[in-house]
Formats: sequence, C-alpha cells, structure tokens
Amino acid sequence: MPPLGKMILRRLLWVFPVAFGVVTMTFFMARVLNGDPTELYAPPEATDALRAEIRARLGLADPLPIQFINYLWALLHFDFGISFTTGQSVASDLWDRLPATLELGFVGLGLGIAFGIPLGVLAAVHRERWPDFLVRGTTLSGMALPQFWVGLVLISIFFVDLRWLPGPVGRLPIGIALPPKVTGFLLVDTLLAGKPDLWWLALKQIALPALTLGFSSAAPIARVTRSAMAEAMQSDYIRTAIAMGHSRRVVWFRYSLRNALLPVVTLIGGVAGHIFAGAVLLESIFAWPGLGQYALQAIERSDFAALQGFVIYASLLYVLAFLLVDLLYMFIDPRIRT
Amino acid sequence: MSQAVMTDAKSAASRRRRRPRSYWALRIGLGLLAFYVAVALISFVWTPYDPLTPGVGDGYDAPSWAFPLGTDRLGADMLSRLMVGARYDLGIAFAAVSIALTVGTFIGVLSGYHGGALDTVVMRGVEIFQAFPGLLFAMLVVQAVGAGIVNVILVLSFVGIPDYLRLARAEIQAKKTWQYAEAARMTGNLPWRVAFRHLLPNSVGPLLAFTSINAAFSALVTASLGFLGLGLGPNVPEWGNMIARGQDGVMTGQWWVSFFPGLAILGLTGGLYLLGDALADLTDPRRRR
Repeated sequence: MPPLGKMILRRLLWVFPVAFGVVTMTFFMARVLNGDPTELYAPPEATDALRAEIRARLGLADPLPIQFINYLWALLHFDFGISFTTGQSVASDLWDRLPATLELGFVGLGLGIAFGIPLGVLAAVHRERWPDFLVRGTTLSGMALPQFWVGLVLISIFFVDLRWLPGPVGRLPIGIALPPKVTGFLLVDTLLAGKPDLWWLALKQIALPALTLGFSSAAPIARVTRSAMAEAMQSDYIRTAIAMGHSRRVVWFRYSLRNALLPVVTLIGGVAGHIFAGAVLLESIFAWPGLGQYALQAIERSDFAALQGFVIYASLLYVLAFLLVDLLYMFIDPRIRT
Repeated sequence: MSQAVMTDAKSAASRRRRRPRSYWALRIGLGLLAFYVAVALISFVWTPYDPLTPGVGDGYDAPSWAFPLGTDRLGADMLSRLMVGARYDLGIAFAAVSIALTVGTFIGVLSGYHGGALDTVVMRGVEIFQAFPGLLFAMLVVQAVGAGIVNVILVLSFVGIPDYLRLARAEIQAKKTWQYAEAARMTGNLPWRVAFRHLLPNSVGPLLAFTSINAAFSALVTASLGFLGLGLGPNVPEWGNMIARGQDGVMTGQWWVSFFPGLAILGLTGGLYLLGDALADLTDPRRRR
C-alpha cells in the first residue's frame, strides 16, 4: 500500500475524470432529451430566418463537437448561461438560492444526527427488547414514508389544527423584509442585525421542513448505527473490555460506538449529498426558496440552462461528499492506511 | 468474570431468538405484499364505486359508512381510487425491478468474472452515472420523454441497474477464486457456465434482499413523480398523484385526501423493507449465526 499522502493525492485526482464524465453526460442529456430550445425563445410567428438567427445566437448552429468545446470553455469560467425564466445568469441564480438550501440542510441533518445516533445506540444496547422494536418501527416508517407526505402531515397537524407553527410560505412570513445579507443564513443574519424577534420568526418557519428532513435522515442513520454497534458489541474486544470491569457506559461509548462509527460516517456523507443537492419535493411543499425549488421550476418550464447548471452543481456536490467521506475514512480508520 | 459469563449467556440467548425474529419480519413483509397484490387484483373486478367518476359524493366528504376513506375534492371515492392505485404503484415497481435485476445482474456478472479492461470501463461508467441524483435523473427524463407507464418503468429500471451491477460484480469477484469455482473450471465448464450456473446461484440471497429494498425505493420514486405530476398523467389514481391532489385540502382541514394514499405507500414500502431485511438476515450465514 502506498503512503497516506500519495493515496489522498490519487483520490483527489480521481475527482477530475468523474467530474468530466458528469459534465459530458449532462451536456448530451440536455441536447438529446430537451430537443431544440430555439422554440422556447422564438415567438410563434417567427420566420425561419429569425429562428436561424436565434439558433446561431444560442450557439446551436455549430457542429456538436464545437458546441461541446464552447460549453466546456464556458463552464471553466463558471458560466452556465442565462435562465430564461428569471432572466439572470444561472450561476448567480444558484448562488442566490444556495444559502436557503444549505441552512435547511444543516438544521435538518443536524436533527437527523442528533436523533439518529442516540436512537441507534439505544436500540443496539437493548437489542431484541422493546426500545429496539420501538426504534426499528419508527426508523422503518421513516424510510418507508415519502418525505413530501410527512411534510404535509406535519403541516396539517402543527399549522392547520394546532396553529403552533406558521404555514408553508418560505423562510419568513409574507411581508417581512429580509435582514441585510451577510452569510445568507437567516438564523445567523437576523442575530447579526440585532433582531431577535426576526430570528424567532425565521426559526418557526424552518421548524417544519427541518423536522421533516430530520425525520427522514435520522431513520437510516439510526438503522446503520444500530446494526454497526450491535456487531461491534458482539466482538472479542468488547468482551475483553467487559471482562476487565469497565463500566457499561465506557464500553458502549468509548469502545463500541467509536468502532461502529465508520459505516455511519459513510452513510452521513451520502445523506448530506442528498440533502445539500436540494430536497426538491420538500422545498416545493414548503415554498422554500432553495435550489430544489429552482430545479423543479426549471424542469416544469424546460429551462434548459438552469437545469443544466443545477444538475452539474448537484452531481459535483455528490462527488465531493463522497471524496470527503473517503478522506475522512483514511484518518478515522488506520487499517486503510497500512 | 461472572459478568462476562452472563453476557455470553445473554448473547447466546439472543442468538437463539434471532432466527424466529427474521421469520417474523419475513411473514409480515410477505403478508403485506400479498395483501397489496390481492387488493390490486380485486380492483380489476370490484371496487365500491367507480374510481374515475367524480361526483359520487358531494366533494370532500369526510370518512363515513358510505365512504370509509372519504371522497376527494371532486367527490370521487377515495377507497376505490386507492384500490386501483395499488395496480399502478405495485405494477410499476415490480416491472422496473425485474428489468433492473436482469440487466444489472447480467452486466455485473460479466464484469466481475471477466475483470480487466471491461471491468474498469463498466465501473467507471457506473461511478459517473451514480453521481447523478436518482430522483432528479428520473424527473428529467420523464419530463423530456413524456408521462406514461412505460416511460416511468424504463427510467426507474435504468436508475436501479447500477446498484444490481455493483452487487452482482462484488459477489462474483469474491467467489470466483473460491475452491468450488476452481473445481467447476477444472471439470471443463466454460467460463460463462461457471459464472452463471455455479457462481450466480450462490449469490441469489443478497441480490433478492436488495431487490426487495429496491422495489420499495421504486415505489417511492413512482409516488414522487406522481406527486410532481410527472408520472402517469393527471387523472390516474396513482398514490403520489392522489397526495398531490389532496394538498389543497390539507390547508383547509380536509386531511384525508392526502393522508390515506400516504398510509397505502407506507404499508407497501414498509412491507418491502421488512421483507428485504428478513431475506438479508436469512440468506447471510454471518448475520444468521
């Protein structure tokens, strides 16, 4: 096995061919599947000459290989083209919407980890007894239920019936001005602007979508934690640790959990990739102005450039999430290094 | 010391209990699946009302004796629509999974057994393809090629293929150096025969377990596509579609239109997950112990 530095370098370099593959696939998918975007720009009464001119201006008159090179060249300059629904450059659209998705993702994933791991531990240390069955039942439904349905049920309970939380109208109630943008995270910006009442409003808005996201990400995390920890607790070193008279707490948390964390880390990487790529359906239910909603609008209106930009963003995020997991692995698990 | 003995006894006891528990999950999973198949079949010959006719109720009728699950905004009976919906969600998942299992396993076995350049090319392709979020890919393609059952099935199977491919490849790769594979080769079997007749049947367990999980995923994606209005067309009583149509009702207190299709999905996907877990437990000797 090569030394750690070389392995990390090799893993880092592997990102480029994958990224190139993703970008190529997106290009051809967009060209093949979306047909001719000229129709979207041309007025219905346009003459053939006008259509030809539009086509030329969109760069669609060139032969495909030339188009592909132009496209790559533009991408290298972070130029994803212009979205015809918003009329702005796709790159700035994505950049504007990123904080909303990231904020929801961080809170949701945080809830998922905060509940998932302890529940998994609870189930593992009480294996085959009622806490285990309870956790397994809950996590099973967390995985088996469509996220959008969970969101609707939460809205129905906490907004429609109980009136505890506000309705699904986005990041702040309608008519409330955003605080000056510093980080883009409303939960941070409102505090920086010195407006705790606004912070409270933002927190109430994010509560339901974040809970939904937390519920569906806690489920797989708890399941994997449970099975990894249960396996760790059957191993010889745990028997040794118990025999040496360590307390249960030490055995559970210092030995079992730490050894069981590897698969959990992998899973969290995957879940994070999903979440930060924009929970498409969830954002559309809660009118959350993030990337997922943007992508959905782009799909519905065949907004070719916007969609292409989003797909590239989402898949590169995936690639990076798995890169991060792999690198983290090399540090957590000494066996990989040897 | 006594503690160690005690834990040992405990874990031995839990081991003894483990096998029946897997059967328990297997029974519930199979039972639920059988229930849905039965409902789907019954819906061909009998439903309480006509599922596609609006106006059998007044619209947004609350659950009652006449309409056990209420009616939707247009007054169509929810129970009838749910029953017919089982055909779509179950049928699509089943068809998509069958295609993905066949194609994915075939390529995976080839790639795993052959190795070398073929394997490298296939695996790189898979890695790039899997960098695309599955649901997004499905949405994109269905939007482009148009709604319809066949399109949804094909897209879902395409999304599923890489997972089967990876699984089959890993199984074959691990097993091709085992002694029984060596023995099969030495008695003069051709490579394809060793791979498909000797190695593949020994890998059926994990593949079947994953098939069940994958069917659950496919049903969820079908419902998601339906929810977005990208799946099967507007008036088709597919469960995701029905949830979307009940969305307005949720805001005004008519929760049942969206609620019951969600429960229907929970039963189906939950059953499939249970079945998958049980199959994984029962077919993997290490997990069975």
